[in-house]
Amino acid sequence: MTPGFRLAWRLALRDLRGGLKGFRIFLACLALGVAVIAAIGSVRSSIQTGLAREGATLLGGDAEMEFTYRFASESERAWMQREATAVSEIAEFRSMAVLGDERALTQVKSVDAAYPLLGQVRLTPDVPLHQALAGQNGLPGAVMEPILADRLGLEPGDTFRLGTQDFVLMARIDHEPDGAASGFALGPRTLVTTKGLEGSGLLAPGTLFSTKYRLDLPPGRDLATIAAEANAQFENAGMSWTDARNGAPGIAEFVARLSAFLVLVGLSGLAVGGVGVSAAVRAYLATKTETIATLRTLGAERQTIFRVYFLQIGVLSLAGVCIGLILGGIGPVLLGPWIASQLPFPAVFTLYPSALAEATIYGLLTAFLFTLWPLARAERIRPASLFRDAISTRTRLPAPRYLAATALALAVLVIAAIWFSGSAELTLWTTAGVLGALIVLSLAAATLRLIARRALPISRKRPVLRWSLSAISTARDNTTPVVLSLGLGLSVLAAIGQIDGNLRLAISGNLPDVAPSYFFVDIQRDQMPSVRDRLENDPQVSKMESAPMLRGIITKINDRPARDTAGDHWVLEGDRGVSYADALPATTEVTAGNWWPTGYTGEPQISFSQDEATEMGLKLGDTMTVNILGRDITATITSFRNVDFSTAGMGFILVMNETALAGAPHSYIATVYAQPQAEAAILRDLASQFPNITAIRVRDAIDRVSEVLTSIAAATAYGAAATLLTGFLVLLGTAAAAEPARRYEAAILKTLGASRGAILRSFTLRSAILGAGAGLVALIAGVTGAWAVSRFVFETDYTIIWSNALGVILGGILCTLLAGLLFSWRPLTVRPARILRARE
Amino acid sequence: MTDASAQTILSLKNASLTLNGNTGQVEILRDISLDVSRHSSVGLVGPSGSGKSSLLMLMGGLEQATGGQVTALGQNLTALDEDALARFRRDHMGVVFQSFHLIPTMTALENVATPMELAGQEDAFDRAAAELEAVGLSHRADHFPAQLSGGEQQRVALARALAPRPDILLADEPTGNLDGANGKAIMDLLFELQARHGATLIMVTHAPDLAARCDHVIRLTDGRIDPTTGSTATEAAE
Repeated sequence: MTPGFRLAWRLALRDLRGGLKGFRIFLACLALGVAVIAAIGSVRSSIQTGLAREGATLLGGDAEMEFTYRFASESERAWMQREATAVSEIAEFRSMAVLGDERALTQVKSVDAAYPLLGQVRLTPDVPLHQALAGQNGLPGAVMEPILADRLGLEPGDTFRLGTQDFVLMARIDHEPDGAASGFALGPRTLVTTKGLEGSGLLAPGTLFSTKYRLDLPPGRDLATIAAEANAQFENAGMSWTDARNGAPGIAEFVARLSAFLVLVGLSGLAVGGVGVSAAVRAYLATKTETIATLRTLGAERQTIFRVYFLQIGVLSLAGVCIGLILGGIGPVLLGPWIASQLPFPAVFTLYPSALAEATIYGLLTAFLFTLWPLARAERIRPASLFRDAISTRTRLPAPRYLAATALALAVLVIAAIWFSGSAELTLWTTAGVLGALIVLSLAAATLRLIARRALPISRKRPVLRWSLSAISTARDNTTPVVLSLGLGLSVLAAIGQIDGNLRLAISGNLPDVAPSYFFVDIQRDQMPSVRDRLENDPQVSKMESAPMLRGIITKINDRPARDTAGDHWVLEGDRGVSYADALPATTEVTAGNWWPTGYTGEPQISFSQDEATEMGLKLGDTMTVNILGRDITATITSFRNVDFSTAGMGFILVMNETALAGAPHSYIATVYAQPQAEAAILRDLASQFPNITAIRVRDAIDRVSEVLTSIAAATAYGAAATLLTGFLVLLGTAAAAEPARRYEAAILKTLGASRGAILRSFTLRSAILGAGAGLVALIAGVTGAWAVSRFVFETDYTIIWSNALGVILGGILCTLLAGLLFSWRPLTVRPARILRARE
Repeated sequence: MTDASAQTILSLKNASLTLNGNTGQVEILRDISLDVSRHSSVGLVGPSGSGKSSLLMLMGGLEQATGGQVTALGQNLTALDEDALARFRRDHMGVVFQSFHLIPTMTALENVATPMELAGQEDAFDRAAAELEAVGLSHRADHFPAQLSGGEQQRVALARALAPRPDILLADEPTGNLDGANGKAIMDLLFELQARHGATLIMVTHAPDLAARCDHVIRLTDGRIDPTTGSTATEAAE
């Protein structure tokens, strides 16, 4: 330590003897912000560790090869037998479980004798899986998730039907070791044996199903090497490889994305806390003006003054960060057993240094950013302050070196956030949002003061209003932090509430007007005329659309790997629905190129969705290779079409000419637009006539999506609530700092004859005005943000959610009232003489 | 005031001070010219608001002149920045305030040692202890300002101002907050120490008897030196 720092350290320690009054809020703001981020990071790391540790169990083997629409070929099976010590074959598809007139959508998993390679399926009653699946009385057995059994009213020993095959329900599934990794499913699980399905008529060629081959690999086999070998041989045949390194990629990605988003919400909370930190430092330094001016008189240079208070605030910041780390690090460990019981996947709760380091970096940088300017201004306090109120330097910008340090710290914070969140775009938008909100709220605070000043004349005969307006117009140190902290907290809450509300409205509110009632899948070609007949002759069916449906993976564009051209575009992720048509369908709008002539039998052609083509950089004349059922079909893109996904109707990204695909085994998909009262009859008729057909009720699918949204929104709301809590802490700090001024004001007013009731009304009124102002600005900021997200990210219409809007404004008023009134009581009760004497 | 000679330690040439207040510019000092000779004592007198304290601040570099020139020990104070002024005060000036301005979180000893610590002197605390003894407060060295009487606080302030052995001692109504007996004791001590250390004393005061003890008196009226200011203390103070 240099002599200069040693001296500053000595002076800082002496100065700290004066106590840390006013720093409770400083510590609370910083600790809360850091705790939230540390807790989010810790839970994320806990889940990631759990997923990594249980990767193989979640996956159901060391590795998995998945095929769409088909079983593995002989050569593929031979490769698996050669490489693996054990192989288990699983087929998965959706179907209808039928009991009398009751039908329920279910996700069927048919397994072989080797299943599960890892872990155990736990059942009630407690019987071994394969004993259960063997069935009884000559019927194959099945086990299903309790929710499905309850829906159908099935008890163990009861019989139900899948397709044309009866099964005996032998037990309910309590735990499926590889269940979590299956991802989003529309229906609850039913487990049967593949052999038991033979008489069901399901799994026929053209049915929508996928097969998964779980491999147990010899000990020491390098997963990266074998993955590369498998991909080299089979990727182009539509094989998709997963291994224990990332056994549940869907969950891992979901957790990573959600936690990245939540950390950014947490950062917004830290920014709100920063406002409180800044206000606390300002208030503290204001009490130190005399000491600083005295030190300057005695010969202390500006740098010495800066160092003295930088060291003090630095130590306090470290203390705040440490408290936050303890809360955020240990909290999840203590709550671990409870959190684990709420999660459908494994998590290992312990202290994660990386999560704590992330929170530390954010906490320290935020503290630095929000305290640097007040500290920089402290060094400008002149010795002349001892003689007279020195000319205010408050509004002047700090010296260039501090501006540069601010810019540098901000840049480091943003880079750290990008690195930790893994999303530059999201981080930059969040940063811009927070900075923009801070600027707008600062301007709003200035405007509020100006309006209060301008409104003074109209309050001439209303003393209570006048005192309130006067206090708002002059109390810069009070108005600005209140509007900033509360406004920022409420902005985040408003934005999240508005986005969530609009998303729900888009999914569940608007959709039923335009969406079909049912999707029917797996309709065989020979069943189509009967299906069409049943639906088209029903007067309660307004519309029915059908199309052949296959699934394919786009492997190449212009004879090169597709990702070389289109990068990570979602169309290339996994398999996509593919259809074919001869004549141009009536509702199809071609935007570029030409649809093939009717009866076309030449080289395969593709009509591709216009929007996705633009995003992927495709142009007319490009060739595309699509792997369908293990066979590569290369076709030329000859037209682009408009595809509207927003109506939940039928929308195929990729359509080929009929002769290119008609020879491949496939089924049909149909959408039915019917009156709600006709839905049950349609389902009953079609399901009993064609047991292989699976019906997906759109309303159920929407509910399922809504459930997922609800949990995401809940997680986000907790983050936003932490932001608002921090805002409230700042309010308390500001109100506490303003208490001496209120005490003096109350003493003077009482001396002049004002009643306590009138003074209390004035205090209440100014709190309400500030709260309403902050709420209104927050609402405007939140609504603007939500509109932009809805319009440009989700591409949905935007409607103001009035319940949320009203809540934000009322919340603003309530928060400021509560904080303000908490610190109004003492000023009202103290006798004026005591205050005025102490002031002399 | 004094003969302009090689002994001049402090000199003002047409110095003025204008401040920006809420209601516009306020002229505090106008066209002040004077010389103060080394080892002398000067009393600044005048009615409230006449600019006495502001003139003292200009002399101490605590306030920057907005016009003219202030020179101390041959150094043009108007050309120095804030930090250079702080260093100059640290090395050459001591200041005593009416309200003492001891740092409340430091003991008496630490308050006295601070200017010497700021100057990087290793023996700051030894010298501070000796200085406290000189003002009769060695038994109060570990007391904080709030534990000291007004008179004791001002003695600590005197010790703090004189411990670094300044060339110039500036005092702003040093007895203004003290009762008669304490005030007299402090003034006796002030003049005694000034004489002992050979510092130049410039003191703002309202008290005619204090002004009378100074070698020279300057009377200020409305921000200007009263042209009728006499060369003896009695004339000026009356």
